[in-house]
Amino acid sequence: MVANTGAGEWPRADHQRWNQFTPAQVTTELEARPGLHKFHSNYGDTYIWGFNGVYPGPMILNRYGKSTIVRFRNSTPPAGDNTFGHPEITIHLHNGHHGSESDGFAGDFFPSGRWKDNLYPNCYAGLDTFGGNGDPHEKMGTFWYHDHRAEKTLNNNVMGLNGMFIVYDETDPGHEHPSNGSLRLPGYYGVTDIPLILTEKRFCATSGGRTEMVNAAGGDKWIVNGAIQPTMTVRRRKYRFRILSTGPTTAQWDLRLFGPTGTIDTMTVIATDANFLEHPVPVDAGANAGNSNSIVGTTIQVAGAVRVNVAERYDVIIDFTNYNAGDKVYLTDARIMSVNNVGTAPNTPPPGFLTNIDIGNVILRFDVVEREAWFPVDTPPIPETLCTFPAICEPDTTFTWNFTRDPAGSNPRFFRINNRVFDANLPQHCVLKGTCEEWLINNNTPNADGPTNWAHPVHIHFEEFRILKRFAIIGGVFQEVPVTPLSRGRKDVTKVEPGEAALIRMNFRDYIGKYLIHCHNMGHEDAFMMVAWHIVPDAAAKAQCDSLIVQGRKEFEAKLRNEEVS
Amino acid sequence: MDRRSMLNKVFTPHRYSQGAAKFTNALLRTQDNKEVRFYDDLIKGKQCVINLMYAQCHGACPLVTTVMKRTYRDLKDRMGKDLFFYSISVKPEDDSPAALKHYAEMRNADLPGWYFLTGNAYDIETIRFRLFNMGHIGVDTDFAMHSGTFRIVNDATNYWGHAGAFASQQHILQRISWADPYKTPAEWDVYAQKLQASINRDVKKYGYRREF
Repeated sequence: MVANTGAGEWPRADHQRWNQFTPAQVTTELEARPGLHKFHSNYGDTYIWGFNGVYPGPMILNRYGKSTIVRFRNSTPPAGDNTFGHPEITIHLHNGHHGSESDGFAGDFFPSGRWKDNLYPNCYAGLDTFGGNGDPHEKMGTFWYHDHRAEKTLNNNVMGLNGMFIVYDETDPGHEHPSNGSLRLPGYYGVTDIPLILTEKRFCATSGGRTEMVNAAGGDKWIVNGAIQPTMTVRRRKYRFRILSTGPTTAQWDLRLFGPTGTIDTMTVIATDANFLEHPVPVDAGANAGNSNSIVGTTIQVAGAVRVNVAERYDVIIDFTNYNAGDKVYLTDARIMSVNNVGTAPNTPPPGFLTNIDIGNVILRFDVVEREAWFPVDTPPIPETLCTFPAICEPDTTFTWNFTRDPAGSNPRFFRINNRVFDANLPQHCVLKGTCEEWLINNNTPNADGPTNWAHPVHIHFEEFRILKRFAIIGGVFQEVPVTPLSRGRKDVTKVEPGEAALIRMNFRDYIGKYLIHCHNMGHEDAFMMVAWHIVPDAAAKAQCDSLIVQGRKEFEAKLRNEEVS
Repeated sequence: MDRRSMLNKVFTPHRYSQGAAKFTNALLRTQDNKEVRFYDDLIKGKQCVINLMYAQCHGACPLVTTVMKRTYRDLKDRMGKDLFFYSISVKPEDDSPAALKHYAEMRNADLPGWYFLTGNAYDIETIRFRLFNMGHIGVDTDFAMHSGTFRIVNDATNYWGHAGAFASQQHILQRISWADPYKTPAEWDVYAQKLQASINRDVKKYGYRREF
């Protein structure tokens, strides 16, 4: 479909596969605009930017096989408003399989007063090879949408421009009735299937009784679904939580479940980055401690933790029948946030609180009650098998992405990928549509600044990848280390710690255009740690794309030789 | 009120710049030893490209100066009129106005509308932090982090952007253009038409939108 520029739509290429995916569903409108939000009952209103004026943005529930258009309107204040938000947006559905024109490419942002239609086909990857709606093995579930504006992603996400997007299919139908193919997981959205959108923020009191956000990459308050350290009443049955970290920066959530007596209890992970695992993976500090992905090299850092890095999603099931009515159960992180302390004094625990953790560790408290008659009865046990992974593809070619930060003392000192910083016009790699590639995501490079090198949660747009191998430096030797059980599934974000690398394989099917690979630490991403790669339709286009890379490299090298480029 | 002035009133954005409170109004000296106030004389109501450098730098600074010279050539018609370049010394104790004059002359960069600035070290550290901080402590405490970066500001519209000096020239010019004076809806329409035409050209030629 052609962009409707006459009616205010921002220019874009025509939607690919429009005729195949003419939306059957009513268009959803999401308007980025200012709003007031209360993060805590003790706080005044906080000025935010949110989709439809709310934070987190509205939950969008979709279904595979029913394509949808989401119309993103930009109604942020055009000349800014003394906040740190930037009034130009481009929205990425993380990690949708769709055309580049709907992918929220970082350079394709549009100004206040305009809108843009993103076509989300809600198809499985593999349209060309499998026909129909694609290969059902490629099913995903928990997506999220967020602003991706080059160099302002952190600002606009801290302002509140993100939300969650769920796509159901018959295995995961959004209800708990027995139905054909259904896994019968806890599945009533908002009742037994709960999003947990995690972030951290810092606030200051301002005039007029308002409580404003501080433009800070790190925070001193836990925020879950827009509330500071909330509580949730849960019935004695199973619940599914769709956990998402919206960052914004380097911090990782090492989530543990503390029972009423301070034991570290079981959370069962069923999906990583929106993709079901083949078999559920329980994580706790006892028999299942080895399943933790809170790991650097081969050393588990926080026993019994599910580590959630920026932009990762983990769907977990918690069975509250393991507890009694009246019990309090805590979801915690290893870090301690400020709760009721003054200055540098420690937090004061509430009466009867656990002795082995700080109240500042607690992200969310569950208050367990009996299941009332009106509440849905518990679902059957979690199935042993949740899905079958698609076969790992055979690569047509290999490529390495080096993530570096220039050594201390160098000038300039950039975050770079393959020695380059973000350039919206230049690809750094060209991929032929319909092929498979093996990529090394490398955070261990000769010119890196050794032990002070930084960790990077790397995100690749477009399709899900599989991690074949992981490497780390152990005892000074760069060597292969086991892939953790939680990293053996399909992923779209993988964190490479300093000195680590991951070997992945990924398909590039069905669509063409510009896509991105970047560090999802939004501070690094805005400091240019992001590069474009293009999917091209044929060999001739690949030759043209490759010549663009060569031309860009020539210009870059001329600049390094201190030559004025022509 | 006639229609034109009414429309101007509607479409002229309010100025939200925090002015000297944000930029500081530090007293600086140019390469010609002229005293200037940072906000009042250099920033207020203007569009400018700012970088950090020092005269004895053997790393990025001379390379970035060359990139700016190339950019100056592209934007010559606007330079000193509604667009300005500021190269601020982050080693002001070493860089007298004369040293900066020498640096600029050696590189044929002593040009109208391009000021090399020095001043009090505390003021300049404040300016560096206010202009270049990204809310990330590891990045912000490292002055070398910003030496390959342009800060692009238009105070009249309160637009703040930045660009990496080692990106393509096309990309740098595009980023400066994003800070151009605020467009009316009619001007956006013209801009959008041009953009759509260029996207269509790309799609026809390569099969997909390649540039932006």
